Amino acid sequence: MENEIKVTNADLIVDEGEKVQYIVIKLGNEQYGIDIKYIDNIVRMQSITRVPHVPNYIKGVINLRGEVIPVLNLRLKMNLEEVEETKASRIIILKIEQYGLLGFIVDEVKEVVTLSEIQIEKTAYDGTEEKQNFVFGVGKNDGQLISLLDMNVVCQEK
Amino acid sequence: MDVSQYLEIFLDETREHLESLNTQILNLEQNPEDSDTINEIFRAAHSLKGMAGTMGYKRMQNLTHDMENVFTEIRNGAMKVTSPMIDTLFQSLDALEEYTANIQASGDEGTNDNQPIIDMLNEYLKNKGEVPAAAPKEEAKAEEPKKEEAAASGDEAKYKDVAIGETENTVLSAAKAEGKNVYGLTVYVNENCLLKAARAFLVYKAVEEKGEIIVSNPSAQDIEDEKFDFDFSLIVISESKLDDILAAARAVSEIDKVVGGVLEIKAAEAEAVKEEAADSAQQTTAVSKEAAAPQQNAPAKSQSKTGGKPVVNRTVRVDIEKLDVLMNLVSELIIAKNSLVSASVSEGVSGAGFNEQIEYLESVTTNLHESVMKVRMVPIESVVSKFPRMIRDLSKKLNKKMELYMSGEETELDRTVVDEIGDPLMHLLRNSADHGLESAEIRAERGKPEVGSIFLDAYQEGNNVVIEVRDDGNGIDVEAVKRKAIERGIITPEQAENMAEKDAINLLFNAGFSTAKVISDVSGRGVGLDVVKSKIESLSGEVDVQSKYGEGSVWTIRLPLTLAIIQALMVVVGGEKYAISLGSIQTIEDVSPDEIKFVQNEEVITLRGNVIPIIRLDKKLDTESTKGPNENLIVAIAKKGEKLAGLVVDELIGQQEIVIKSLGKYINKSKLISGATILGDGEIALILDANALI
Repeated sequence: MENEIKVTNADLIVDEGEKVQYIVIKLGNEQYGIDIKYIDNIVRMQSITRVPHVPNYIKGVINLRGEVIPVLNLRLKMNLEEVEETKASRIIILKIEQYGLLGFIVDEVKEVVTLSEIQIEKTAYDGTEEKQNFVFGVGKNDGQLISLLDMNVVCQEK
Repeated sequence: MDVSQYLEIFLDETREHLESLNTQILNLEQNPEDSDTINEIFRAAHSLKGMAGTMGYKRMQNLTHDMENVFTEIRNGAMKVTSPMIDTLFQSLDALEEYTANIQASGDEGTNDNQPIIDMLNEYLKNKGEVPAAAPKEEAKAEEPKKEEAAASGDEAKYKDVAIGETENTVLSAAKAEGKNVYGLTVYVNENCLLKAARAFLVYKAVEEKGEIIVSNPSAQDIEDEKFDFDFSLIVISESKLDDILAAARAVSEIDKVVGGVLEIKAAEAEAVKEEAADSAQQTTAVSKEAAAPQQNAPAKSQSKTGGKPVVNRTVRVDIEKLDVLMNLVSELIIAKNSLVSASVSEGVSGAGFNEQIEYLESVTTNLHESVMKVRMVPIESVVSKFPRMIRDLSKKLNKKMELYMSGEETELDRTVVDEIGDPLMHLLRNSADHGLESAEIRAERGKPEVGSIFLDAYQEGNNVVIEVRDDGNGIDVEAVKRKAIERGIITPEQAENMAEKDAINLLFNAGFSTAKVISDVSGRGVGLDVVKSKIESLSGEVDVQSKYGEGSVWTIRLPLTLAIIQALMVVVGGEKYAISLGSIQTIEDVSPDEIKFVQNEEVITLRGNVIPIIRLDKKLDTESTKGPNENLIVAIAKKGEKLAGLVVDELIGQQEIVIKSLGKYINKSKLISGATILGDGEIALILDANALI
């Protein structure tokens, strides 16, 4: 019959909550996820012009298509140890409302994953442990754990 | 049709008129008999009234109308200018400014009638020139309608000649049959009217409230496009009386005359005959027109010039954002040119032809930049012209006699800077008036003239514009400043003792500092000078104060001429490239290490009799010079006001035109670095702020 109601695939999917794409980056052995909405660009390492009298985690400024953009070392910003840059090192350019474009040096950019709400375990906010608050949740994808970064907290100046 | 499209023009012009009224009324107070000033005031007030009326701002129109009446009497010599009258006029201007602000914010003039001001204006009118003022007006008014009535039967009743089409005729006949009235109207707009389409629109609106417009000649579209001379005719169906409609149309300002009458509707056949007649009449006019064409050509042309839209001046209003875009493009072009130059050097492209072309390109981009910059430059007059009025008000409020002397109002600055500089200047002037100038008794004691003087001088100095606010008042009491600073916990008593006078004076720029013993609403809210300083610094400028207790103080504001592109000296320090604004560099010296002497443990050199401190840039920039200790030093002598300092660099690259880019919000805390620039090879060089170093 023409009027028969068809059951489509969409109706069978369990509600998984909102889906968000994350760029997965590596710092050492740990994987971190950054919400893709912040990402403007990912560029290879290039010469960075040092700026005097700034905190150590600000490495300087780069020229990206005629714009001068500050570059931060994500490791230093997160109080991790600085390592030598390798061929895999990248600068990811983020657009943060408060500061405009900012570059972050990371060890490696791995992939883009899509996580739905049920795959994310929220971490509790801890006022005493500042370092922990960079991460707002842990995502599980194919048995791997991805720490999801709250970029607004990461960018905050100390 | 909508009046909102005229709103921008209206606001701009209203502001201009208000500004000119402010200046001229001030002038009037000084020279009450000057007929030029009075005429100028009268013109401005009249235009203002007309414009407000056109836009339908009744309250504004009423107020300006009464002001205009006062000016008329002054102009006719029936009334003398008095100080309280000037006060009232200034109050009226303030009220008008308020209306303007309301209109800009919401499109509506607000609900304040300002009746007290209007009453006061009328009071002046009554008391000073009662008989001559009121009587002729009444007469004139009485005469007008008579004239119109008489004219209605003559050639002015153009509505009678309006061609009525068949459909319209049917509508009109039907209306007539229903017992409605059919009227013809011809409206004459004042020939000096600037926005006649807007007036016509208001007439339309007024008439439509009373009835229905069936025919319009010229058509509504043509009227909207201002394609009519100074009159237009309407045919209206209405249940109202003819007089009501005429009155409604006359209520619109700058309408000279409205003539009208009941229109006789001919039967359809009669109409046809008439149309034929009209046709033949048209033909004859066409013929006569052709015949007259050669002679008519010339006057027609001149009419289109003087008639249509009056040519005010040959300028174009441009949105500042469009200029910003243009400036950015010029910046990009200069970067591209720099890349081309550096590519030609590094890749060894040579040949006289190529270099010539590069040089040509260079001169074109430089000229282009200068032209765009000039377009953005406006005289500071637009900002400072309101100050004499402000000082006058302050003088009354503070009960101190003072006079403001201004010079260099024509000095030009980038538009964005001019827009921002008003508040800081106002603050410094208020500061001088309130804190600077002493009371009359103290002035007499000190043997100073009773009237205090405040000076505002602007002039260009190299790549900077300097604005000075000077007064012959009390000067800064350094001890009082120190005491206050200790009280506020800004410094300790020990610090205060060793503090140089200069540093103590600079305490004034601290947030939350106000030495006024009584907090007045003129100045002294403690949010003043630090705001002035940060504002000026945000414009890449600086503010400085010099003062002699008992004699007066000088506040000096130094602003860069342009914010975007500068000529810079490119240098190398510790292997890194830096740019220093060429405007602050005086000379470049080659100094041998043994010429360096020590004064108070600081390195100095003696140059042509001057002892100049030297600044090792490598130390300042946390890097290490690539030069050995025994090598000669390259010293760039920089100047800031009267002060000189030698900046030690490793290498000179040369002079280059650079585009200033911000370092972004994340790292603009570094005082030494005022920005960055992109070099021809894509590398970034930081721009050193020589002023911050000295």
